[in-house]
Amino acid sequence: MGPELIVLGILGAALILYALLGGADFGAGIWEFNTAFQPGDDERELIQRAVGPVWEANHVWLLFALVLGHTAFPLAYQAAAQALWLPLLLALAGIVFRGVGFVFRAYAVDSPFLRSVWGAVFALASTAAPFFFGAALGAVASGELAFTEAGAYAGSYLTGWIQPLGIFTAFFAVGVCSYLAAVYFTREAANLGNEALVATWRRRALATGAWMGILAAVGLVFLALEAPELWSGLAAGWLLIAASAVSGGASLWALARSRFTAASLAAAGAVVAVMAGWMLAQYPYLLPPAIEVETAKGPEPVLWGAVIAASLGAALLLPALALLFRLFKAPPGVD
Amino acid sequence: MLAAIQTLVADGGLPAPTQTDANLLWARLQMAFTLGVHIVFACLGVGLPVLMLAAEGLGLRRGDPLWTALARRWAKSFAVLFAVGAVSGTVLAFELGLLWPRFMGTFGAVIGLPFTLEGFAFFLEAIFAGIYLYGWDKLSPRAHWWSGVPIALSGAASAWFVVTSNAWMNTPQGFAVDASGTVVDADPIAAMMNAATWPQTTHMLVAAYMVSGFLVAGFYAARLLRRPDSRYDRRALALGLALGGAASLLQPAVGHWAGHVVAATQPAKLAAREGQFHTERRAPLRLGGLPDEERMETPWAIELPGGLSFLAHNDFDAEVQGLEEFPRSDWPPVAIVHVAFQLMVAIGMALLALSLVAGWSWWRRGALPAGRWFLVAVVASAPASALALEAGWVVTEVGRQPWIVQGVMRTEDAVTDAPGLLAVLCVTVAIYAVLVLGCLSVLRILARQPLPEDA
Repeated sequence: MGPELIVLGILGAALILYALLGGADFGAGIWEFNTAFQPGDDERELIQRAVGPVWEANHVWLLFALVLGHTAFPLAYQAAAQALWLPLLLALAGIVFRGVGFVFRAYAVDSPFLRSVWGAVFALASTAAPFFFGAALGAVASGELAFTEAGAYAGSYLTGWIQPLGIFTAFFAVGVCSYLAAVYFTREAANLGNEALVATWRRRALATGAWMGILAAVGLVFLALEAPELWSGLAAGWLLIAASAVSGGASLWALARSRFTAASLAAAGAVVAVMAGWMLAQYPYLLPPAIEVETAKGPEPVLWGAVIAASLGAALLLPALALLFRLFKAPPGVD
Repeated sequence: MLAAIQTLVADGGLPAPTQTDANLLWARLQMAFTLGVHIVFACLGVGLPVLMLAAEGLGLRRGDPLWTALARRWAKSFAVLFAVGAVSGTVLAFELGLLWPRFMGTFGAVIGLPFTLEGFAFFLEAIFAGIYLYGWDKLSPRAHWWSGVPIALSGAASAWFVVTSNAWMNTPQGFAVDASGTVVDADPIAAMMNAATWPQTTHMLVAAYMVSGFLVAGFYAARLLRRPDSRYDRRALALGLALGGAASLLQPAVGHWAGHVVAATQPAKLAAREGQFHTERRAPLRLGGLPDEERMETPWAIELPGGLSFLAHNDFDAEVQGLEEFPRSDWPPVAIVHVAFQLMVAIGMALLALSLVAGWSWWRRGALPAGRWFLVAVVASAPASALALEAGWVVTEVGRQPWIVQGVMRTEDAVTDAPGLLAVLCVTVAIYAVLVLGCLSVLRILARQPLPEDA
């Protein structure tokens, strides 16, 4: 196995972790639309408590994936940066305003006006970021972007990225983020011991989960029609499709039974299976139809350097992450 | 495509390819603007944790709640500033690819290692920032202090790694290109440890501590001008000044070292910086002056004979290469680089003088100078230090032009073909205005919170 496959695996894992963790933080912001109209401050505080300590760390998975991308697959990075510059800039604007909106809202302690303004910014931006990331990923998956093997892009800079599949994945990404957040919040509310909040989030999680199940089924049909190449790859990985469906169903069942940690794990599992399925279906292409892993990879010493740096970095990172999540995400009494 | 257009222009006298020219201008302005904003927040992200830890440590050791109160309040400001620094840094991470796709496509692998390591450093910083900021009631006081140490360390480390890749753009090494311009071999360690790495990273880190110290000191000096008796504000000022002052004592020596390396590796940058158009022995050090590229001279400068030869090569009679040695198309914008350099050095010297006066008074009398003039000077040091920081960054970035990778890739060959960069720039300026104003308004709210009862 060449080092490029190891790096590809790390890259895929980073993207999946970003979806599971950073995606849920976006979801928290999306739900802020709802909480903005709620009378009490309970919900806002729950979001604050849950997201505050971890969102910056969760965000770094994206930066890590970017860096690994240009290090290991510079040609693909160059091509994607050209074809997807507009949706990526829009997602970037979302990331910027999500971050400052959240923090400014939290620290504008005695100004209800500023709090509501930044709260609205937080909600809008949290929706925009996954929407445009989803659109960009869908545009890549559609295989309709006019890439050349040399890493150039011959399509339109303004409208090339707007693909039917991309529009679907944009909404799907927003839905995934909302679902993850809602399920995680049932657990956060239960840890806090606030029964009313548990009931609210449980209801929201169940409703969103049902919708996401329908959307995913529609998506499969859509994929078969819109991206036959990807579909044939995916059909081979039917195990992952099945795993995603089972895991998603299990998360709903666990929610119904009020087993919130199990529900969180199952919801995350469903997302992992969807993303892993997409990645496997697209392999060996990084950017279909022209750019493959083999042609886009960087020089061998750099790839090994990235593997070594990532391994050493993980040795520092994983204990620190474990500490962070144990401090802020473990149920009371575990400390 | 680009090469074809260039040939056309050379052969047929057609007008220049305006799309690329315009894109180059807007992309460079976009990069300069977003980096110029980010660098201030990034420096505060490196320097503030040191002050936070000093205040919290003093509170722990002396059992003095006033120090602890200071640390808690600085932690809140840090949270706000760190978030702005993180998002504005994310903007830059995206822009490298979005504005300069061919640079990243060609050299993304070569400079990938420091960026990867920077990613990990920033990861640790973000994790421990979460623990520190939200852990006041979850950790013992001692453990809480220790949870802040990785923030300061990894903040400095991530600055070090990021500047390493910029140093590589100044003195590229550790790769080979084939005839078509593709990188065929790469040694990421050699690339990371290039000639400019140590002086440039040291210069940047010391600058980060300087700016953080003086910005904090200046803020509290302004408060003391209105309320001279506040013990809280005086302590905060002293701590800020201690950090900024100590760093400003180091900076001239570090800057001299960095200048030596520039003289050896980027002679055109040195010549532009000093307004040196002609090659000469006993080259003078010019104070002030405005270089005139057309007439190839730098009028209105005070010239110290042999000064530049000595500073660049430790010998008053050494020969210094002038810009005449280089083709006109390889010159950086001389006047901008020269004026920015003069500004940086002048402010650095003024800050050094201020630190020496404050240090002398502290040593002789055990207190900072009492006069109102001193507070006014400290207030002025805050914007001045930020200005010096920006000027220094202009020297290194504009001084490298027209290259994005010195001697290897021109900036104009790296820029994207995407349309609408001017519109993106305008929107970005508007967004950053909202960002900075929002940040200042939240910091103002935090500064107005009353102190806790026991402090």
